[in-house]
Amino acid sequence: MMRRLCTALIAVALFATFFPASVLGQEPVKLTFWSWRTEDKWVYDRMIRLFQTRNPGIKIEFIPFRAPEYATILSTGLTAGRGPDIIHLRAYGGLETFAAPGFIAPLDFEQVPELKRFPLQTIAGARSRKDGRIYGVPFATQTLVIFYNKKIFAQHNLTVPKTWDQFLTVMRTLKDKGVVPLANGGKEGWTLEVLSGVIAPNFYGGTTFFEAVTRGQTTFREPAYTNALAKMLELRPYMPTGFMGVDYATMQQMFINEQAAMFIGGSWEIGFFKAQNKNLEFGVFAAPPERADQIPWVSSYADGNYGINAKTPHMEAALKFIRFTATLEFGQMFTDLLAQMSAVPGVVVRNPQLQQVQAMNRKATPYIMLVGFRWQAPTGSTLLQSALQGMMAGTLTPAQVGEEVTRGLSSWIDAFRGR
Amino acid sequence: MRAGRRLWLAIFLAPAVVLFAAFVTYPILSALAYSLYSWEGIGRRGFAGLANFIRLFTTFPYPRLLVGAFWHNVVVFGLTMLIQNITGLALALILARNPWGARAYRAIFFLPVTLSLVIVGFLWGLFLNPVFGVINKTLGMVGLGALARAWLGEPETALITLTLINAWRWVGFPTIVFLAGINAVPEDYLEAARLDGASEWDVTRRIIFPLLAPAVTIIVILTFIGSFNWFELPYVVQGVSGAPNRATDVLGLLFYRTAFGEVDTGLQDIGVGSAIAVLMFLMLVTVSTVGAVFLRRREVEMG
Amino acid sequence: MSGRSRWTPLLQAILIANAFLVLAPMVFMGLSAFKTTREIFQHPLGLPTVWSLDNFSRVWVDARFALYIQNSVIVTAASVAIILFCGAMAGYALGRFRFRGNDFLYLYFLSGLMLPIRLAIIPLFILMRNLNLLDTLWSLILIYAASGLPSAIFILTGFFRTLPADLDSAARIDGASEWTIFTRVMLPLVRPALVIVTVYNLIPIWNDFFFPLVFIQSDHLKTLPLGMTAFFGQYYTDWATLFAGLTLAAVPVVALYVVLSQHFIRGLTAGAVKG
Repeated sequence: MMRRLCTALIAVALFATFFPASVLGQEPVKLTFWSWRTEDKWVYDRMIRLFQTRNPGIKIEFIPFRAPEYATILSTGLTAGRGPDIIHLRAYGGLETFAAPGFIAPLDFEQVPELKRFPLQTIAGARSRKDGRIYGVPFATQTLVIFYNKKIFAQHNLTVPKTWDQFLTVMRTLKDKGVVPLANGGKEGWTLEVLSGVIAPNFYGGTTFFEAVTRGQTTFREPAYTNALAKMLELRPYMPTGFMGVDYATMQQMFINEQAAMFIGGSWEIGFFKAQNKNLEFGVFAAPPERADQIPWVSSYADGNYGINAKTPHMEAALKFIRFTATLEFGQMFTDLLAQMSAVPGVVVRNPQLQQVQAMNRKATPYIMLVGFRWQAPTGSTLLQSALQGMMAGTLTPAQVGEEVTRGLSSWIDAFRGR
Repeated sequence: MRAGRRLWLAIFLAPAVVLFAAFVTYPILSALAYSLYSWEGIGRRGFAGLANFIRLFTTFPYPRLLVGAFWHNVVVFGLTMLIQNITGLALALILARNPWGARAYRAIFFLPVTLSLVIVGFLWGLFLNPVFGVINKTLGMVGLGALARAWLGEPETALITLTLINAWRWVGFPTIVFLAGINAVPEDYLEAARLDGASEWDVTRRIIFPLLAPAVTIIVILTFIGSFNWFELPYVVQGVSGAPNRATDVLGLLFYRTAFGEVDTGLQDIGVGSAIAVLMFLMLVTVSTVGAVFLRRREVEMG
Repeated sequence: MSGRSRWTPLLQAILIANAFLVLAPMVFMGLSAFKTTREIFQHPLGLPTVWSLDNFSRVWVDARFALYIQNSVIVTAASVAIILFCGAMAGYALGRFRFRGNDFLYLYFLSGLMLPIRLAIIPLFILMRNLNLLDTLWSLILIYAASGLPSAIFILTGFFRTLPADLDSAARIDGASEWTIFTRVMLPLVRPALVIVTVYNLIPIWNDFFFPLVFIQSDHLKTLPLGMTAFFGQYYTDWATLFAGLTLAAVPVVALYVVLSQHFIRGLTAGAVKG
């Protein structure tokens, strides 16, 4: 008797482990949502809770991955025929590599009517070049800027520099006073690409060069471009000692803990800085150009999109959530909570730093590699990131960086071949 | 009875044969074949002959990445032999004299071998952080601040530093293997030599070293295989692209990246990835076979 | 012998220095796990001012460590069990029976010792996908079990061969079935070899990162090493939590090692050290 009871219990236990409650009762639809935004988890969790209270039949789990591993993990998951239901996707070429092989469900205005209100420029980041269709709801536009610590600047009677030379003077003053002027490091290549995205456009001529190089009229060997990269070298004395070993986390820590006066990065940092140190008083400015009468260029780009796995068994529920992300309500919450520029039209920016960023965008240029050169491997970003590490460590010259990038891209950009 | 015996044989052997054939033999043979096909994502298309190999050897940046990664594997092998295995040998020679606490030392030295490389990698990554890490801070405290540097960030030191981290984890292994080899040397050989007035160094050089040859061969082969299979540590500490500027790129990373996608794209190139795998495969099998034969011959000579 | 005593202090010094190099990082890791991040940055080498368990509880509750450890235990236990089961049966057949193809089969399994199975990751990935096993613990168990067989068969066949020939004949004459002979007579005699096989496979399987990295995508199926990387991504600025996570991840193996170090040393070097 006892034994039989035990057997029965074990059987039930096994049954329960292998066939979760869904078989036994009505369970809500469970969706998974992958992302590379580890820092923003709390915001997504909050918005998901709001969505769930309105849609009691749907449960969503937000799973963030380390940003540098995200593309690989997503790619493996999707080719395995699995992956999440809702996918945080990059834009442009970063979207194309997943959309073109058919991993992502295309969206149309009928399914997501809210998309009609998005400006075409924003939608461009969600469009595949292969079939011209839209593969996601754009979520944010990012701008690359310089952050500075107001308290430290005030302590040393410094003002926001208007020209490149003033910029260098400010940093020299800080360094003489024993303050680390710039938190930036080079351990992770992508932070160097961001650095170049901030510093270089003023010197290579912003959108004019972007258009010429994307049309194949010139290459990255162009002296205007490599000379612009060379400007980055002038920052090296003002970066932390051992900056080549300074990773992204360390950069953030140094700026948040007021151990460094400036941080060159993207507008997505605003919310994170605020959340980590409430007492941090910081401002933003655009990279200073050569002369004071020039309006500085800022690199900006559509950050990415929320897409749906083409193979999801819960298309309807996923669509519901995707539509939710395209509403003004979501966009406003996104901007308010994360202090990032939502892609949803009509969102009001209240955050003072973000308002400044918004103003800078009057003279915006596409973030060059991300917008223009990520369509095939090796991507412009991959090539540039590695080469910039070489340049900042002193093993490559700016001209060699231009050469590396051009040569690598020529394997899939015909116009670069033989030039 | 005969039939029964056959049946039992089949029962005893079948599970192992099936498992091994399905999940080792078949995939390895397929891996060789895959390199000869063209691929679209994960879908196999037509037979492509040597096209993948040609692409690997001729299309920039593949050839340079391949040569660079291969060279780094060679450097890792060389440095590991020099640093880790010689340290291991020295420790084994000391422990073989059975000093006070020998058993405890043996256990301590071997402890990191049991740790996951993921833990080891992250741990040392934190220690070596140039701003907050304890290594540079300690150097500063003892007056060696000038030596402090971005150990993992600079192209000149990154690979060596990784090799040292690896050695920290592994050094107990050659120690134990050499120690077993030394302990296997008959005590009367050593006593006889000592009675003849041979110095300790002579005993070590003339008697222990030659008899240690099989252990050395094993360690060389294992170090070679380990060095050319290197993946976890560079992946965890430096990321999949072999930062900085490919200074820590090794064949394992190149293979993984090519087959499963770079950092910023999920683009997979199964064909070229398979070609890299085949090259690595041929190299590893050749060396371990030659090594094993060599080992066998030596044993015969000495036996 | 006088030479011996003269050198003793130097040799002890070398041993102590090396033991320090091995232990210091681990002690430091353990101490940091009790500190706050600020304390780690400001007094990296000091003792924690307050011995707080907060970091550990955060790791345990928020970072799903219990789940990762559970997955690792399931995968490791199942793989080792399959290796022992299949390996012992095959080793018994190869070591105790004479039949045509014995040598061939033995060499066939042994070839697995030389084949780097990781290089077959692409076909394995496709195979697992076709079997619908990707993103399941089974994908890991099967690959670990299969690739652990060669060493197990090598070790066990050798052991079975050394057992006296009349053992099984005697049992057979007594009318015992083949299965009884195997399980009741032979297996208990090779127990030391089974221990070696267990340790030889246990640690590499527990620590493996490569196959989970490729096969597992769902967070709730991650093994400890893979879960660690997710954890590092999430708490990357919070060093106190990171150190607590590292410590917690190291504890199971280190604890086991402290209890069974002799078995560990023998087991893990089994391929390289005779006897």
